Amino acid sequence: MKNRLRVLRAERDWSQADLAQRLEISRQSVNAIETGKFDPSLPLAFKLARLFETTIEAIFTDEN
Amino acid sequence: MECKTNNPAVWRFTVHFIVLMLLYAVFSILSTCVLLLLHPTGIVIWLLALLPALPIGGAVVLTGRYMSEEKDEFQRAVLVQALLGGIGATLVVTTAWGFLENYAHFQRLNILMIWPLYLIFVGISYGLVKARYR
Repeated sequence: MKNRLRVLRAERDWSQADLAQRLEISRQSVNAIETGKFDPSLPLAFKLARLFETTIEAIFTDEN
Repeated sequence: MECKTNNPAVWRFTVHFIVLMLLYAVFSILSTCVLLLLHPTGIVIWLLALLPALPIGGAVVLTGRYMSEEKDEFQRAVLVQALLGGIGATLVVTTAWGFLENYAHFQRLNILMIWPLYLIFVGISYGLVKARYR
């Protein structure tokens, strides 16, 4: 699933490690989500949306 | 499941797993020595045979506990895939080897090698899964 995590992160000048710390997950997890290799669960997607003060749809794009 | 981590669930799993594998080694040596030297009979044989298998059961329970304690869903997914890879490879190799033993006169595989084989396959599988997500 495509996403805008890298852009949102860059806007806040956060590294992957910074985002990982805020989400209480590993940096590898952030990288896997960011590169579209791993799709997060709904609770984690909501957590991301809350953190970036936006909606899930504004972060993730359904490719279909 | 990484070496450099401050994840308490990973630390607990790693320390307890090492303890269990040390117990496995100690119980294996103990059981072998008692069975070979003292030639016990009856239920004692069964208990001595079961003794080294208990830490293996403990390792399975420990893995289940780690899964429930690990908050990082990506790390859980990686471990599940690695375990599936390990189980799959162990089943494929041991089944194929069994046919080779029966019909191609291959050397008999000691059944006690299955646990170390499984651990090796899980390790390889874990590395491959991690590499896939890099």
